Amino acid sequence: MPDPSSEFRVNPPGVDRRSFLRTSAVLATGLAAVAASLRPLMDLEDYTTVERFLQKYYKELTPAEMDRVLQRIANEVEKQYGIRPHVRDLKPMDGVEFVYALNLTRCIGCRKCVHACVAENNQSRNPEIQYIRVLKMPHGTLDVEKAEHNYAPPQVPEPGYFYMPVQCQQCKNPPCVKVCPVHATWQEKDGITVIDYDWCIGCRYCEAACPYWARRFNFTQPSIPKERINPDMAYLGNRPRRQGVMEKCHFCIQRTRAGRYPACVEVCPAGARKFGNVLDPNSEVAQILRTKRVFIQLKEEMGTSPRFFYYFDV
Amino acid sequence: MTDERKTSWVLFGLVVIFTGLTAAFLENLWGRPAPLEAIPLVDRAFLDTATVRRSYADLIRAKEDLSDFDCYACHEKNKPPVLRYDAKQQLIVPPEHSDIVMGHGSHGRNNNCFNCHNETDLTTLQPRDGRVLKLENSTPLCGSCHGPTYRDWEMGIHGRTSGYWARNLGPIDRKNCVNCHNPHSPKFPGRQPAPGPHLLHPVVETGPNPSH
Repeated sequence: MPDPSSEFRVNPPGVDRRSFLRTSAVLATGLAAVAASLRPLMDLEDYTTVERFLQKYYKELTPAEMDRVLQRIANEVEKQYGIRPHVRDLKPMDGVEFVYALNLTRCIGCRKCVHACVAENNQSRNPEIQYIRVLKMPHGTLDVEKAEHNYAPPQVPEPGYFYMPVQCQQCKNPPCVKVCPVHATWQEKDGITVIDYDWCIGCRYCEAACPYWARRFNFTQPSIPKERINPDMAYLGNRPRRQGVMEKCHFCIQRTRAGRYPACVEVCPAGARKFGNVLDPNSEVAQILRTKRVFIQLKEEMGTSPRFFYYFDV
Repeated sequence: MTDERKTSWVLFGLVVIFTGLTAAFLENLWGRPAPLEAIPLVDRAFLDTATVRRSYADLIRAKEDLSDFDCYACHEKNKPPVLRYDAKQQLIVPPEHSDIVMGHGSHGRNNNCFNCHNETDLTTLQPRDGRVLKLENSTPLCGSCHGPTYRDWEMGIHGRTSGYWARNLGPIDRKNCVNCHNPHSPKFPGRQPAPGPHLLHPVVETGPNPSH
């Protein structure tokens, strides 16, 4: 006759020493593994703040909210680069439509515009993001398939070639705006297609839609040396971008909406770049479109109707 | 071996593996992906917005040494300098003016100093229409021959403009002909191009393909 109490010893109440050790070892290992898998979070520098996450759409922001947003951006820039920027939200002017004209006869392909643009617009230096790409093409063709952009001769211009800088064409019928699933990019009243970097989800549809290869994506956290930061910033313009957002030429919105010429116009040694308000008949661009013989809209057949005109004289 | 013992061994093994992995993660034994090759910053000379050359007017404004322009330090007043030509009717530039390259016009026909300079007063310029212009006011002289370009320049189409496109918000800065063109050799000079785009990953040179 077995001891009836032995039946209860099969599952004794409480925990014996062995199972306790086993369970705690497994638990400790599990916790350590979870902690190790979260290790990359320690390297995260640019995390979304509650403020940024809850920020409203650009067009719905009231002026008071916009002020707070600009304040937040200024604080973020100061924290990251140690420079207090002057961030503004410049609105389009009435009776202004910006147009760009580029004289292909004059352009010597020196690429000064590329680097002036990078300096003005706080583009990432490492990896390199540039809005302007200068194409070298043999005389007698306008076929971009025959273009080369890695040229590095000791001196430009090279005989037998001409140079065609390409950047955002600020189309009247922009394909990039149509494909944006979240309306993070749109065309403003003065013709500039802008991007709200806080609204962009980084899907890169616009990059695929653009026939001019004008859009650039921040695949990594952009890096700009502190001494090369341009502190004159605009919300839709050159404020520093984050990883995972799209950017492109915006006609130097922080300069042009304040009445100044874009950085690429200011730096061009050959005077090949012309910019202005096409609605003003006395502006340079209006006179060029009226008096110069030939002008080209790049890939005109796409129906994008660029506000960027290439022309020849002489 | 009982089931319980087997379980213990398996669990013990897992504990060892995971502890090892934890240590490896924390110590970053695999290493992060190699950092991208640093792209050197562009030379600030390429960001300079200055024009190609400085005009006489710029030198006056900057109050610089103008002794090079003091014609009558060497020339005699009221005595027009004599121009000498070689057998091919090319002007012989005297050694005192050896910095001047005669390259105005493509056929070497514009070879007379007094097409532009005033022989009776070397400190002035004279277009063929009889006007006399100061040396710092050379633009109308250029315009007396280059009409269409002068018209374009007046409209702002030819040449450099900087400052403000919106005339009501600020001044526009117009440059003169001689800010970019050397009047004796006006073809726009070539220059070294700024560095081109760097590739994210360096291209590995594979050498010529033997099948071609």
